[in-house]
Amino acid sequence: MLRRTFLMLTTSLAMACSASQANAACSPDYSGVTLTVASQTGPYIASALKLGADEWTKKTCGKVNVVEFPWSELYPKIVTSLTGSDATFDLVSFAPAWLPDFVTYLSEMPKEMQSGKDWDDVEPAYRERLMVWEGKIYSQSMDGDVHTYTYRTDLFSDPKEKDAFKAKYGYDLAPPKTWKQYLDIAEFFQRPDKGLWGTAEAFRRGGQQFWFFFSHAAAYTNNPNYPGAMFFDPETMDAQINNPGWVKGLEEYIRASKLGPPNALNFSFGEVNAAVAGGQVAESIGWGDTGVIAADPKQSKISGKVGSAVLPGSDEIWNAKTKKWDKFPAVLPAPFMAFGGWQIAVPKVGKNQQAAWDFVKTLTSPEVSGQAAITGGTGVNPYRKSHTTNLELWSKIFSPTEAKEYLGAQADSINGKNVALDMRLPGYFSYTEVVEIELGKALAGQTTPQAALDAVAKEWNRLTDEFGRAKQLAAYRAAMGLSPKN
Amino acid sequence: MMRNDPIKHVFIWPAVLVVLAISIFPLIYSFTTSFLSYRLIPPIPPRVVWLGNYATLLQEPRFWNAILTTTLIAFIAVGLQYVIGFGVALALNARVPGERLFRVALLLPMLLAPVAVALVARMIFNPTMGPLNQFLSMFGLANLPFLTNGHWALACIIAVEIWQWTPFIILMMLAGLQTLPEDVYEAAELENASAWQQFWGITFPMMLPISAAVVFIRLIESYKIMDTVFVMTGGGPGVDTETLTLFAYQEGFKKFNLGYTSALSFLFLIAITIIGVTYLALLRPHLEKRR
Repeated sequence: MLRRTFLMLTTSLAMACSASQANAACSPDYSGVTLTVASQTGPYIASALKLGADEWTKKTCGKVNVVEFPWSELYPKIVTSLTGSDATFDLVSFAPAWLPDFVTYLSEMPKEMQSGKDWDDVEPAYRERLMVWEGKIYSQSMDGDVHTYTYRTDLFSDPKEKDAFKAKYGYDLAPPKTWKQYLDIAEFFQRPDKGLWGTAEAFRRGGQQFWFFFSHAAAYTNNPNYPGAMFFDPETMDAQINNPGWVKGLEEYIRASKLGPPNALNFSFGEVNAAVAGGQVAESIGWGDTGVIAADPKQSKISGKVGSAVLPGSDEIWNAKTKKWDKFPAVLPAPFMAFGGWQIAVPKVGKNQQAAWDFVKTLTSPEVSGQAAITGGTGVNPYRKSHTTNLELWSKIFSPTEAKEYLGAQADSINGKNVALDMRLPGYFSYTEVVEIELGKALAGQTTPQAALDAVAKEWNRLTDEFGRAKQLAAYRAAMGLSPKN
Repeated sequence: MMRNDPIKHVFIWPAVLVVLAISIFPLIYSFTTSFLSYRLIPPIPPRVVWLGNYATLLQEPRFWNAILTTTLIAFIAVGLQYVIGFGVALALNARVPGERLFRVALLLPMLLAPVAVALVARMIFNPTMGPLNQFLSMFGLANLPFLTNGHWALACIIAVEIWQWTPFIILMMLAGLQTLPEDVYEAAELENASAWQQFWGITFPMMLPISAAVVFIRLIESYKIMDTVFVMTGGGPGVDTETLTLFAYQEGFKKFNLGYTSALSFLFLIAITIIGVTYLALLRPHLEKRR
């Protein structure tokens, strides 16, 4: 009897010890907690969330359920959930442009997360601008997005190509400084009989098309002499999308569509990456994923031959105030923060808010996000200083020259003097839908660039009046980092 | 139980209330919403605009384009479905060898989910990687812009509609053909009527009531087309293939413009009712002749 009691006591003690050890491994202990995250369909972003989820589970014993929706369905799913005040999602991942529509329903980031080494490591373009709405932080960037230029170094360094190019255009073959040079290069390499085309961009409605157009237009409309006037006049909220700068951008975007592979009009960003990695095009513009995928020997035919640079610019930029072209002494690049990178936030109605913010912390930590950034297909591009300075991390996928160019292009773009921020406004989809429709018509040749953009401007002004001009102006100024108008 | 037994109210009223709650109330709510300017995003307090949403819609070229696109898809697709479906039903009714196998195989497309069919179609018609263009390029033909040109995209959607829904016509027409009396045909053969004369003089008139019903059902269903267009083209290029339901979806679930979408739904209901009533009015004299 005594032996049996002793045995039971020992067993109980051992069990208690092992339980306390297990709990000690969970720090903080969220065992029993399952977080549900809304994401776009993977692999882009969803796989990064899963990567973060695995790490968080190891650390806290909590679980994360990533619910995926197609890109076109994500916004309505999140809006329906938030406006219905149901606690379906503990976290939502979304585009910064949607923040103004969601902000009423989101909880503020805990103050302790808004300081420290990890916080300072986030690039100021995100930390001080894209993550901020009316002076408060409601979301955390989990991806950095800026459009950059990608090209094939084997073609650009070929002496025969260089000589032929110089003979034809009168200047050296190199990453373009202006959009005119970009189109010259695309035209030069347009060789359908050899399976090589000039460039690849997204032109399909619903296929991230309008961000590529915005990248062209940013060079002619993001004027440092009148900041924040790229999309709307920050004094009057009058649409600027039909001014001569935008028209020039659209003309060049349409020209680029004719210098791509057959049926480039059906390209979304996915097809752009496939064309670049397949060695079908000499150059391209797009998000950082292009460089990472093109460098991956498993996915790419041009691995080891990938060059990167900042987007082309212009030495003439339209001034929305004076209604004249401003001439600059040198070409001024206007890297466009297209989309602005995925963000993650915690809805107010969430039942596990503390755990949810803890997951955000793990997901966006320098270690976990750094790993995601170098993993092709996660869709995560650099958004922390440590992402662009840690050459050792990138040497896993790039050659030293490739890594230097890629990280240089990313860092110079994000920190560029004339970086162009994407539009962030309440009713974002209403504004961009008409852009997509009119771009489709202009690309198909059904309307002229000026007529297409006039139609967009008319609808933008109508929407602004419908939503309330003063309210929209205040939101636009906040999004562009301008002080409130008195 | 007597006809005037008050107990009948106990059985009837719960059912009436349930019907009112789940069907009439949403309809009335939606109807009243159509007179409001009401957006969820950005949140704007509802404001009465009376017929403002209807007036805006009727002046909106995109609305008329959606009506035209939907009508084109519905009439061309259903017309061809009827001709092909009736033809195949006649062939199957003639007891061809392997008729059972054909019957099952021909019904398969109808059993598939439209979303799945549209996904497969989108891959087949993919301008660069689709097998159809690869097949054409084997003969030295240029890649065709199946989903990137408005006319081609519309034709592709109609082709998919025909492929998927002709089996429904076959099924219904075959069922109708099998109920036709044999003696009428025997009498026609005694009179040396040709097969063509038998078809126009006997089969087609006798099949007219069922034809009218089948075409009516398909026409109404075709006007509600959404999933196929959504997956194949998303309404593009531009708005060249945007149908009424897709337009309503974009307004309602992308822009959350609830008042406008409600008005659009009621205009859609009115359009369908007009088409249905006109169709039945045109057919009535012919149908009454058969009674």
